[in-house]
Amino acid sequence: MIVTPKIFARLVAIAILAVLLQLSFFSRVELLHTSADILPAVVVSLGLLGGSMTGAVAGFSLGFLVDCLLVAPLGGSSLVLLGAGYLAGLFRERFDIHSALVPPLVCMALTLFAELGFAAVQVMLGVDAPVSVLVVRDMLLKSIYAFFLAWPIYFGLRRALRPALVEEPKVTRRHQPTVLGA
Amino acid sequence: MYRKQVRRRRAVLTLLIIGSFLLLTITYGQSSGGVQRGVSTVFSPLQTVADRALKPARDLVGWFDKTFDARGENSRLEAELATTRIQAVAGQEALQENAQLRKLVALDGAPALAESAYEPVTGRVIARSPTIWNSTVTVDVGSGDGVAVDDPVVSGDGLVGLVASTQGGSAQVRLITDHATAVSAKVVPGGVQGVIRPDVGNPEDLILDFIDSTKDVHGGQTVVTSGWRAEGLASLFPPGLPIGEVTSAPIVEQEASQQVHLRPYADIANLDLVQVLTGGSRG
Repeated sequence: MIVTPKIFARLVAIAILAVLLQLSFFSRVELLHTSADILPAVVVSLGLLGGSMTGAVAGFSLGFLVDCLLVAPLGGSSLVLLGAGYLAGLFRERFDIHSALVPPLVCMALTLFAELGFAAVQVMLGVDAPVSVLVVRDMLLKSIYAFFLAWPIYFGLRRALRPALVEEPKVTRRHQPTVLGA
Repeated sequence: MYRKQVRRRRAVLTLLIIGSFLLLTITYGQSSGGVQRGVSTVFSPLQTVADRALKPARDLVGWFDKTFDARGENSRLEAELATTRIQAVAGQEALQENAQLRKLVALDGAPALAESAYEPVTGRVIARSPTIWNSTVTVDVGSGDGVAVDDPVVSGDGLVGLVASTQGGSAQVRLITDHATAVSAKVVPGGVQGVIRPDVGNPEDLILDFIDSTKDVHGGQTVVTSGWRAEGLASLFPPGLPIGEVTSAPIVEQEASQQVHLRPYADIANLDLVQVLTGGSRG
């Protein structure tokens, strides 16, 4: 990703919009008693589009912003989301797979990774109350929601950042040569 | 050239990881740092606008979710209604008796809140934590409205949580379902005392812990804040705030204390309007 001042401004706007949408909308609506978490999906999409560094820096920044806006120890979300963003970028750099299913599947897997990461950080910092097994259901449902939300998020971000993308996967169809007389 | 890029990439990654751990180490255990306060102050108006703009969309999704739940809820509510009718009759008798007793001892009928001179400040929830590990909400009233850290927060149904940090126009509320929250409470009638702790990941279940196992607690009883005061120390919550209803009280043999499960009265998942109880004498 080529980050010009214009693209940087767009990235900042995307981060702020994502955090506001998450805190004011997605965290406050529940389907099957679980709310969706779009932040890992946004970070993963940025990683898939811009590479490991873009993913890691975006993850750190989004995590920092979320922790600032909530009563949470600073650094916890940053650590987890930078990991998710970096892994997404690494996937893009190491594997040359172009399929419409890649963004949702990677988002789903890395959202689960992020949810496990949040749990690990919390356990590391100490949990002062019993933990319900429903935590597992919450993590799995969040991953499934990420699968479905990944399409609009990934394609929306690709559209917004199109001028900065170094190589955009092209979907090319091979036409079979027409054999005259066949 | 490629090696240089790889080296730079590794350096940035290492820097970010070290930065995260440093932030965690520096800010852990503190309610709110200056940076958090500053960012919250800047973002508070944006959050308010986003909250109002997104309300219709939230209501639409909420309607779908509630429709799914309604079928199961219907049969449970019918059973509850039958029980409540019986309790209401008993309640009417108790009210009459209570009124007579009040006249007899000339007690002031004012509720506990009025006695402790709390001033309720009404606010709207404008943001909510995305993870279940930090169960917090942000409200659109802050220190400018008289809200202070540790002020109790209630909804129309019962206790919601406690103010964890404040800025000029907003405040963060740690909910009773957050793992760091503990509320001293008692079961009524009976007055059995204990401490309420959440069951992390299950916002519809709270645990009343450290209850004397010889005391009889059963389903359907109400749990309220106990609001104790002793030797200069006082509970952060005024007495008598409704918290929830006992759902199960399993009896464990040979245990000095027992755990009681309760369902909170407040709809923690769908909070909208809340009241922050400012000022007042605690406990």
